Amino acid sequence: MTMRQAILFTLIALLPGIASARPAAEATHGADLYRAACAMCHGPTLEGNFQTPALTGRFVANWAGAPVAELESYVHRAMPLMAPGTLSPEDTRAIVAFLLQANGLAQGGTIRRVHPS
Amino acid sequence: MFAGGAALGAVAMMAGERTLLPHSATAGDALVPPHRPRLAPLHPRVDQITDLKVCIRPFRAAGPRLDVERIGDKTIFHNYGHGGSGWSLSWGSANLVVGNVAATLHRKVAVIGCGIVGLTSALTAQRAGFDVTIYTRDLLPHTRSVRANGSWTPDSRIALTQTAGPAFADQWEQMARFSWATYRTYLGLPGAPIMFEDNYILSDKPFDDRPAPPPPAGAPGTMPRATEDFATYESRIRDIVPAVEDIPDAENPFAAPHARRHSLMIYNFGAYGHLLLSEFHQAGGRIVIREFHTPHDLASLPEKAIINCPGYAAREWWRDDSLIPVRGQTAWLPPRPEAPYGLDYRGAALLSKTDGVMIQAVDLDGLGEMTGVGNSFEHPDPAEAARAIGVFADLFARMPMVGG
Repeated sequence: MTMRQAILFTLIALLPGIASARPAAEATHGADLYRAACAMCHGPTLEGNFQTPALTGRFVANWAGAPVAELESYVHRAMPLMAPGTLSPEDTRAIVAFLLQANGLAQGGTIRRVHPS
Repeated sequence: MFAGGAALGAVAMMAGERTLLPHSATAGDALVPPHRPRLAPLHPRVDQITDLKVCIRPFRAAGPRLDVERIGDKTIFHNYGHGGSGWSLSWGSANLVVGNVAATLHRKVAVIGCGIVGLTSALTAQRAGFDVTIYTRDLLPHTRSVRANGSWTPDSRIALTQTAGPAFADQWEQMARFSWATYRTYLGLPGAPIMFEDNYILSDKPFDDRPAPPPPAGAPGTMPRATEDFATYESRIRDIVPAVEDIPDAENPFAAPHARRHSLMIYNFGAYGHLLLSEFHQAGGRIVIREFHTPHDLASLPEKAIINCPGYAAREWWRDDSLIPVRGQTAWLPPRPEAPYGLDYRGAALLSKTDGVMIQAVDLDGLGEMTGVGNSFEHPDPAEAARAIGVFADLFARMPMVGG
């Protein structure tokens, strides 16, 4: 392996990391926001309860195949239920990034599993 | 006389009863009023709570949305926004909407939502000969409908008088009469899905029977400003709904100086909900669990006629900002079948139902019909429940009894 090849290899190996650094940070921020704005009803582990839907399981089935932007739009206009529309677009994106990450879903584009089975 | 009174008490004890005496009576009274209510006392306590449920009444100033809208090749028949009257008006509202659907000559109908309005719409459509599929994200027990108190309240925050106008009053009467008649067909059935019970309205002050004051000047538009803005139509159906009667002092068993009684129709969610779902399935109805995100998702349905019954979810699902949330909360305690009556006192309500004793803070702070308006906080408030329970705990703590 030449030096040039080694640098190229390292760059390629790092690329996904660079590409996912922003979403990962966003999801971490989203987790904080979730605890503050959503967990009271949906539960600390997204488990929901008899009255409030879980944000795992059926949540994935309900949104699979939809554009992430559609989920963001829904969260932005409908949540939190007691004060809909109060989350900024940035905070909404961060919360959705967290929800996607927590469910093993790909960031951006269409809602789908990271590793399709 | 004394011996007679003691014997009466002994009989009551032997029967295991704890009977309330009129508050003015003393042990040994020989003359028992012929209609004195014999009520087992309820001593509700916070540590007996089995559930706290929060509902959001879907209020629209103009009354429920019942118009027809076309999206692509679909015809959407709206049926939502019934405020605090969804259960009570469900059958009548479904009857109006299904009548409109029938005129389209379609045979297959989709119903969106499986709350009480969706379910009664589906059943009404089946009874009109339609092949019906319900598309819903949740079945009845998980919907907001079953977070109500479940009693006949057909004009509870159903509309604003001015905004809805006189034509709606006529439509309301038609719906209320049709619903009442349909509910009567569910009386006397095993499990008591629907029943009547005596409801006592108690007051510390004499009842004020003066006409309600006029609403504030000007038009309320889409937001209520005061209790007086809300429509009251119940006098239009007083010929079929049992009247409220005053209870004379000597017959008043409660530790409140003024009491009235009426026969109230109540809906027992467990028995009634299961019965309606069974009827729907027995008639060949199908339920598809599905969540829609935008109205355009409806394009994928095979049915061309769609009855839209999302309740409060219409706000985000149909982007209907005319829906105003009105929060309500009920606390549920274990059933007390030996005490089948209801109470209204100091802004709290109690109903003894087959699935539990329901206690609700209707208006603890003197806000009248404005209580909960604009509040969509769907999380239980234990302090509110404790205050409402406290009203009745205090009432019964003051009540004289025999046999206990």
